[in-house]
Amino acid sequence: MNSIPVKNSFAFSGKIEGEIAGKIWDSIKSGLILIDSAGNVLLWNNWMAQHSAIPTELALNHSFESLFPDSLSVSFKTAIRHALQHKLPVILSNALHRSPLPLYLLPITPDKQRIQQSITLTPIPTGEGNPLCLIQIVDATLSIKRERVLKSHTERLSKEAVTDALTGAYNRRFFDERFAAEFGRAQRQNIPLSLIMLDVDYFKLYNDTYGHPAGDKVLTSIVKALKSQLHRPTDVVARYGGEEFVVILPDSKTEGSQIIAERLRSAVSNLNIPHSESKVADHITVSIGIATYQPDTDCNATHFLEMADTALYSAKHGGRNCVRHLTTTEGGKPCMDVSFSPSPLLV
Amino acid sequence: MNPLTELQVDTLTEIFNIGAGRAASSLSEIVGDPVMLSVPRVQLYQSSEINAEVLSLNSPRLGAVKQHFSGPFNADAMLLFTEDRALEIVHDMMGSQVSINDIAEFEQEAMCELGNIILNACLSSMADILKLTLDSSLPVYSVGETNAVLQQIILDANQPIMLVLHIDLAIEKRHSQGYLVFLLSSSSLQELLAHIDHFISGI
Amino acid sequence: MPHRNSIKTLLIVDDSRVSRMMIRTFVLAKHPNWIIIEAASGNEALEIVDRDTPNYCTMDINMPGIIGTEAAEQILAKYPSIRVAVFSANIQESHQTRAAALGARFVAKPVTEKSVAQALEFFECNK
Repeated sequence: MNSIPVKNSFAFSGKIEGEIAGKIWDSIKSGLILIDSAGNVLLWNNWMAQHSAIPTELALNHSFESLFPDSLSVSFKTAIRHALQHKLPVILSNALHRSPLPLYLLPITPDKQRIQQSITLTPIPTGEGNPLCLIQIVDATLSIKRERVLKSHTERLSKEAVTDALTGAYNRRFFDERFAAEFGRAQRQNIPLSLIMLDVDYFKLYNDTYGHPAGDKVLTSIVKALKSQLHRPTDVVARYGGEEFVVILPDSKTEGSQIIAERLRSAVSNLNIPHSESKVADHITVSIGIATYQPDTDCNATHFLEMADTALYSAKHGGRNCVRHLTTTEGGKPCMDVSFSPSPLLV
Repeated sequence: MNPLTELQVDTLTEIFNIGAGRAASSLSEIVGDPVMLSVPRVQLYQSSEINAEVLSLNSPRLGAVKQHFSGPFNADAMLLFTEDRALEIVHDMMGSQVSINDIAEFEQEAMCELGNIILNACLSSMADILKLTLDSSLPVYSVGETNAVLQQIILDANQPIMLVLHIDLAIEKRHSQGYLVFLLSSSSLQELLAHIDHFISGI
Repeated sequence: MPHRNSIKTLLIVDDSRVSRMMIRTFVLAKHPNWIIIEAASGNEALEIVDRDTPNYCTMDINMPGIIGTEAAEQILAKYPSIRVAVFSANIQESHQTRAAALGARFVAKPVTEKSVAQALEFFECNK
């Protein structure tokens, strides 16, 4: 049974607490060692006693290093020094150190085998100057096998969770989170943010005429075209709805976003995907609405999204295959950038 | 944001090179071969300027080891390597006993320790030379798509300043370039610079 | 017994200006009349020793151009009486052994009063 020496008053205040604490350390299924700045053992839990074959009474108040006939590795000694002297936490991974301490599988047999160990050293401040060092030892044998299985699962899940399966753009769920984060950041750091909303012109008619599989191909091609025009890793293309896409351009002002929006419109138009039923061109085109958030203006995320939607609506009703732009202003009412409203290109 | 003075950059580079020297020593102890680690360049950026091109990280996936430091100033420190580099480094550190296929299993913890060794060495160097004490959290390793990882770094609240150290790690003559990135608030940066200026004035 | 007040020339080789300043300050505190010359690289040091052969030299290892231990070797080959202290953050066994093999003293950075004292002790002792 592990009893906490009473003379270390900073560790536990009362005898009852000490006993309960002792029961806790002994119930924990990994090694716990506490050493002081002189390197003496203050705590040696049951797990340690069992796996080292060194009973607690023999370990307590002795120098930690003296307990091991073969001396500790240089890495271990350096780790202890870092924790005690510099008060920094240290990891001795199983991958790089394997079995630094003589701890064995139970029951300990003559051909005793060391267990794989994963060790962490954590400085424990005492409020009195020199910290103590807590050494935690975990049997790593099991986790190596499990990590292998888990890793293949996680990779599949994380890609699925944020990507639109058809087009490869980010999905709506990802957009919602990313947009909220970017908008919040733009407000906090007082930087501009632009949002571009695109809608494929006469898409239902295209599906009716050429079939849904062809429609799917169009959406995929459009996303490729959009991505080809976006070069910053912070620019995000997401599928917002059936035939609606949205692009987040962080740190992007009015002029910059207009140039990019026009590039996006051209890129889609230049795909030259024939669309006999389009009333505005003989090929697939998109209508685009831009919303730009100016720093220090009054706007929230929801309104900002609505602004982009309004700009898109205005583009639709302004002849399609064109771009319309709204900017936030100090007064709170968004302002339409009338200087930039290129007329739709008629073929 | 004011650029750093020549002496401030010199001091920081020297502090981190001393840290790198200590880390290289610890690493060579583990690897059993000479390890060279140097910090050829220190630069200051606004977090919003950072992207994969600025950092020349041309790889789909990035590994990042992160530790949070607090004391007279707070910072999140990160060691960044492209994932293929990270796996190579882990392979070099573990020696040829482990097959390439099994290396990925150990990536998480080996990279955690590598990051821990380098970050601790740099931090203890800073503490010794600038005479301050810093507390630290345990390291956490995450791997993800490059842009997503960089985004996450940028989006972390209220740390608009980024101190970027270009690092060169050579194990068994194979060189890997990575980055040590410190995210700070402007007040933390001011605090750090104040300590540096105090140190310089005492020379 | 070496004259405390005799004038010596010390060459400080380090690419960090701050390090050079620190070594200079600590050395001048103990020996205010010594002459200090500085070089920012091994190559620069090699040029300087021919013009202005110093009594002593501190040498960093990691510098642009040739590595410090290499520069130290070349200097000692030409001027074996110069005492060299390798002052470096790179504390690995291999570098320490190299320094010793050259007859140089290895001192670990950071530059402090103590570490500079170690170098000075090596410079002034009887071989």
